[in-house]
Amino acid sequence: MKKFINNILLSFTILIMSCQKEVTEITPVGVLSSDLAFSTAQKIETTTLGVYNDMQNANFLSGRALIYVDLMGEDVFDKGNFFGTLPIFNQLSNNGIPANLWTAGYTTIADANRSMAGIAANASKLTANKAKELTAECLFARAISNFYLINFFAQPYVSSADGSHTGIPLVTIPFFSNDPTANQPRATVAAVYTAIIADLTQAIGDLPANYPTLYSTKTRATKAAASALLARVYLYKGDYANAKAESQKIISGTYGNFALQPKPNGAFGPGNYQTSETIWSIPNNVNDNPNTNNALPQHYFPNGGRGDIAVSSSFRNATTNPYFAPDDLRRTTMLINGIAPNTAYFYTNKYPDVATRSDWAPLFRYAEVLLTYAEATARTSTIVDPDAVVKLNLVRDRARVSASQYTILSFASKDALVAAILGERRIELAFEGHRFWDLMRTKSNVTNKVDSDGITLVPLQNFGAQKSIFPIPQLEVDKSAGILLQNAGY
Amino acid sequence: MKKNVSLMMAFLLFAFLSWSQTKMITGSVTDDKANPIPNASIIAKGTKVGTTSGVDGSFKLSVPNNAVFLTISSLNYVSQDIRIPSGNFVNASLITKADNLQDVVVVGYSTVNRSSLSGSVAKISGNEIINRPVLSIDQALTGKAAGVQINTSSGLIGDNVTIRVRGSASISSGGQPLIVMDGVPLIQGNQGQLYNPANALADINPNDIESVEVLKDAAAASIYGSRASGGVILITTKKGKSGEAKVNYDAYIGMNQPGKQLIVLDADQFVSVINKMRSNAGLGNAVALGDFNGDGATDKTNWQDVVYRNGMTQNHQISISGGAGRTTYYSSASYNDFQNYIIVNRQKRITLRLNLTNKINNWLETGFKTQYSRTTSYGLGSGTGGALSGVPFGPLTAYPNVPIYSADGTYYTGAGGNTVSQNTPNPVAVQNLNYDTRDTKRFIASTYAEATLIKGLKFKSQYNVDVQTAYTDQYWDGSVGDGQGLAGVGQTVSSEVRVWSWFNTLNFNKKIGDHDLGVLAGAEYTRSYSSSNYAYGLNLFDPLFRLIGSSNYATIGAQNAVGGPNSGLASYFGGLNYGYKGKYLLSANIRTDAYSGFGRDNRWGNFPSTSVGWKISEEKFWKSKLVNDLKLRASYGVTGNSNIGDYPGLAAYSPTQYADIPSLNISTPGNSALRWEQTSQMDIGLDATIGKGISLVFDYYNKKTKDLILNNPILASIGFPGNTITQNIGSLETKGVELTIGLPIIEKRDFKWNINLNGAWNINKVISTNATGGDITGGQSIARPGYNMSVYYLIRWAGVNPANGFPMFLDVNGVAKQYDHSAPTANRWTKVSDGSVTTAITSADRVVDNSKTPIPKIFGGFSQSLIFKQFDLSFDLQYALGFYVYNSTRATLLSYTTTRNKSEEILNAWTKSSDVTNVPKLYWGENQSTQASTRFLEKGDFLRMRNIQIGYNLPKILLDKANLSRLRVYAQIQNAFTLTGYSGMDPESNANGNVNIGLGIDNFRPYLPRTFTIGFNIGL
Repeated sequence: MKKFINNILLSFTILIMSCQKEVTEITPVGVLSSDLAFSTAQKIETTTLGVYNDMQNANFLSGRALIYVDLMGEDVFDKGNFFGTLPIFNQLSNNGIPANLWTAGYTTIADANRSMAGIAANASKLTANKAKELTAECLFARAISNFYLINFFAQPYVSSADGSHTGIPLVTIPFFSNDPTANQPRATVAAVYTAIIADLTQAIGDLPANYPTLYSTKTRATKAAASALLARVYLYKGDYANAKAESQKIISGTYGNFALQPKPNGAFGPGNYQTSETIWSIPNNVNDNPNTNNALPQHYFPNGGRGDIAVSSSFRNATTNPYFAPDDLRRTTMLINGIAPNTAYFYTNKYPDVATRSDWAPLFRYAEVLLTYAEATARTSTIVDPDAVVKLNLVRDRARVSASQYTILSFASKDALVAAILGERRIELAFEGHRFWDLMRTKSNVTNKVDSDGITLVPLQNFGAQKSIFPIPQLEVDKSAGILLQNAGY
Repeated sequence: MKKNVSLMMAFLLFAFLSWSQTKMITGSVTDDKANPIPNASIIAKGTKVGTTSGVDGSFKLSVPNNAVFLTISSLNYVSQDIRIPSGNFVNASLITKADNLQDVVVVGYSTVNRSSLSGSVAKISGNEIINRPVLSIDQALTGKAAGVQINTSSGLIGDNVTIRVRGSASISSGGQPLIVMDGVPLIQGNQGQLYNPANALADINPNDIESVEVLKDAAAASIYGSRASGGVILITTKKGKSGEAKVNYDAYIGMNQPGKQLIVLDADQFVSVINKMRSNAGLGNAVALGDFNGDGATDKTNWQDVVYRNGMTQNHQISISGGAGRTTYYSSASYNDFQNYIIVNRQKRITLRLNLTNKINNWLETGFKTQYSRTTSYGLGSGTGGALSGVPFGPLTAYPNVPIYSADGTYYTGAGGNTVSQNTPNPVAVQNLNYDTRDTKRFIASTYAEATLIKGLKFKSQYNVDVQTAYTDQYWDGSVGDGQGLAGVGQTVSSEVRVWSWFNTLNFNKKIGDHDLGVLAGAEYTRSYSSSNYAYGLNLFDPLFRLIGSSNYATIGAQNAVGGPNSGLASYFGGLNYGYKGKYLLSANIRTDAYSGFGRDNRWGNFPSTSVGWKISEEKFWKSKLVNDLKLRASYGVTGNSNIGDYPGLAAYSPTQYADIPSLNISTPGNSALRWEQTSQMDIGLDATIGKGISLVFDYYNKKTKDLILNNPILASIGFPGNTITQNIGSLETKGVELTIGLPIIEKRDFKWNINLNGAWNINKVISTNATGGDITGGQSIARPGYNMSVYYLIRWAGVNPANGFPMFLDVNGVAKQYDHSAPTANRWTKVSDGSVTTAITSADRVVDNSKTPIPKIFGGFSQSLIFKQFDLSFDLQYALGFYVYNSTRATLLSYTTTRNKSEEILNAWTKSSDVTNVPKLYWGENQSTQASTRFLEKGDFLRMRNIQIGYNLPKILLDKANLSRLRVYAQIQNAFTLTGYSGMDPESNANGNVNIGLGIDNFRPYLPRTFTIGFNIGL
């Protein structure tokens, strides 16, 4: 009897002990434990694609980053008073806009660094080529994030002779915890540009020219996308020879065939996102977009959208925008009237898909590459360069069907040609996040900028003004305990 | 051997005495309800002659002729000296001891006599909560135990009930106590799936409850280790007693109405106020009276009148209990129906219970306790509270100058003569056409076997399960409100929450001479699961068919989710109780818990406690006649908090989308070093009985919680979501005193009057938060190091300038600024002192006032019961003092930017120079005066009459004739009245649910119902 009871007790004890594992070892449902994120080839790729999701952030490349550049320029005004003091260059260091942008940019960089580390550590699960491709996608993401961050948070490259002025922290190592090495001082602008150029140069070598689907080719990093970014980087750096050389590669078809659409609005609106004019866009769809508060159509489109941002009279008026001729097709394809009660205002028609908020954010279009080539060529030439005029005409002609083409005789000097190219760039790339930075890189002041009423002129913003750049988010400055220094004036 | 000798001596003595002159006394011993008391001791006073009563309470005793008094006593009853009457027949009726120091108290996995308890435990008898027309058992406990604050968010069916035992022990993690019923860790909290909350405790039948114990200090609670920092509530359900079957039928019926209604403008006032607002701003009329249903009369509607009703409530319960041979049982069936005063809002519940114990032989006992319930709640289809179609938002803000129905009898959905339209959907239409119904089934069961291995050593194995499944069916009609833009919406959710636990214990109890020893060792495993399936359909083809499917809806979709806990806990525990001569008490407990959500290295946590007690009154030197029972207690221990989410420390990725391309992103950065929050608590207390049964329990406690699990800000360059990482940072401190007094003022056979009161004073202070000492924000409150928990953080209102009617505020430096909406944008803010243009008041001008928090400094309850012959009268009061409520409802009802209806307070608006008022000049578009500020912060102090009850017990003679053992009829008012200076709906309003920071926000929570019931209890 005693033995019987003992046996029962013993088997009971074993049963009890086996229970422990059942209640403490629980596999989570709905999330993936981080040690599995790089466990298979497929997981590695999906995790790496998360870097694009970071860029698609509403506060970054799928919307706001582009909007801010235009809001600081003179082509649009903040009719809805939605963006606070940003358009009048008077942000506070604790404002949400710089904080969200900074976070979105550095999150992309951090995820890219982590993915590269994960790819390297699990290279055996991938073909050598795939590992290179995925790494190159991360490099592209890191480069474009650094490029946008440095232009928002540091004075333009050209504001010092060699870019030796203060830039942003250059983060290249992966973090998996609250790592103190993440607390880095700001590198110089030149150092950041050098890193961007190095990342892109490697990426162009390793990226594919095409992905299996056209959708991926237009939305994931390709040789052409990296090259288009690199051309823009050189342009902003004032390195026109390299800007010319890089854009030349795309124009000559080295990275695939690109061409302008017949109509100036041919690369905008539903159904037009994957044309040969698009080099790289951030895609959106009905389920995944920057939502009702942040989507491009929500801000820009008056009919159904909020229409916070209206097109200024400075942009429409031929005296303040001298290359915007009355017969320019883009006056009708790119601009529309507001609806009641905003019939007095004009809006852009580039992002019309308010219904599903699916408009893609146009990061690189072939038109930009042509204009970059034209400008770099014109600037590096000693004469009115005929090739620059040809490329300028490619963009101009489709909007000016009734006007005569430019010839070299149209320009009295090389400077006149450059001015025409910049004027064309302002019109062609309007509302796509270029204008203010084109002014900055050419050391221009912001003139004829209207306030949120669309009438009152904002005081002239000089090139080099302290508040032409964003404040470093005060919370980041505080958290860095003296390592991260605030921009002058904030 | 020694024992035998003394027995023999007693026998000899008895034999000797019986030779002398004696008389035979017969009689019976009953309790105050005429129930027989078996085993009562009857002793002739001054002698050693005595006997005990039989099963029927009767006794027979031969006493010396010169004996004058009999001393009759029994455990749990006040002993009585009764003069032996001439007829030698004694009928003794013993009164239940007013102090409950002799009670047996459940303390986790064992029970102890209250007299040998050295921890702090409050006990609430089932009699105190029976037959109360409450929506859930937790509501019935309000004000019943010192230091246990129970706050009912609103009168809405299913709304949150927040329980805090000795204040909050956490900031971001849960603060609710663990609730264990018959050993089953209960699913609790809000289980609502769509637009209505659903309190999980509403499934339990309060009338089945024998007692509720609250383990307050660490010594008592630490046996529950990592789940105990918010205290532990133990619920014990009834069991049968050996003897004849008892049948009880309890029924009540009644009705309820809103306890209070805010007064809003009538149609005429509305039109004049809104249009005045417009004309003051140089704008044309925005609203107008008219006849919009064509009945020839100007349309005027008081929406509160039509949305509120007299709701009917009823409850029926039959219970049968008893025992035969080795088996005892308790079974019950109940039906409860509570139709709220808000049209369509209703809760129906049926419960079935069977509790059974079976002594198989002299060493083995088995048993189970089970409850099945079905609770159907009919919620508000378009949301609650402050939602546009919610109640009371709808009836308070809907246009009073439009009709309910159109001429054709359909609901009127237009804006009437109001041209600037911010219409609230027709409040009657949205309630009647939409619905959100939840059908909940709940099974709670525990089953055990207990074996006595050797004398004093018991092994017990108990398996517990709690399963709640629910089906939520929701519908928005396409003709009105939320469904309008979507052409009709149907949504359903099937959800399940399931918890099982299994514990095995060894209990050893032995008395060796003067030494009492109790040892406990055990293991417990707990696992929680949940799942939910959600389906929706948009654009309904035919409202007759509402099942979600592509034939009925243009768009359908579905989603699966975990939706609740998915976690497990492995625990090992041990305890030691030691008493010497019943005077010196020592106990120690330890529990070690492993939680599935922590990293493997930090999974385990130890939660020890120890306590000592000293019954001074048992000492020889104790001579006090006044204080006849006095015990000092002291304890110290550590508890933890497992309400921290499923995987607080797990580094994880979640599926994301790059438009059409699936991707993965970090969802939680994880922290493998994360460990338990630890609350250490010191408690010093005393239990005393003074004079004839005045009882007193006093406690002082000091709790410190460290390693709070909080989100620590990190550099954005690390790139983790939210720029935070979950870490053990932050600490807080709570200290307070508690006092419970029981006063048996009159103790006569036919006239008894008892008063019980309890009170607690409590201060909750935040010591540290995170690396940057940052604020943790919730509602209008923050947790800031050095300040009281949840202190309000608001812009300071400086009133209305009598000179011009402008609203005034103080900036952060105390400079008064006023706002003139008529000025150009840049010049609207001016200094009050000199009228010069200044900067705007912004959120940077918020300040903390350490004296103002939503947490009462002093709170408690007061109850009295009076029994006079067959009548009884009782009431329960609840009070809370020293706290503030942010009246967000009032802010909305004073808005100058909408044409929604306003509070009558707006009639006090400034009109002319030198008007002294708190309501600024009416000015359309002025949006500063209603921004969050101290203007809407009000003192919440209140005294609430929770229950008044008057009853009549049929006398025994009549009962015997009717062959009944008991018949009581009674009438009661639940929530009879509230005395408060608070101007809003209710000072307990809470729009934020069960949180630690952000309580006390009154944002359109429906008032508690006032319920009148009449009922009876019949016992066979």
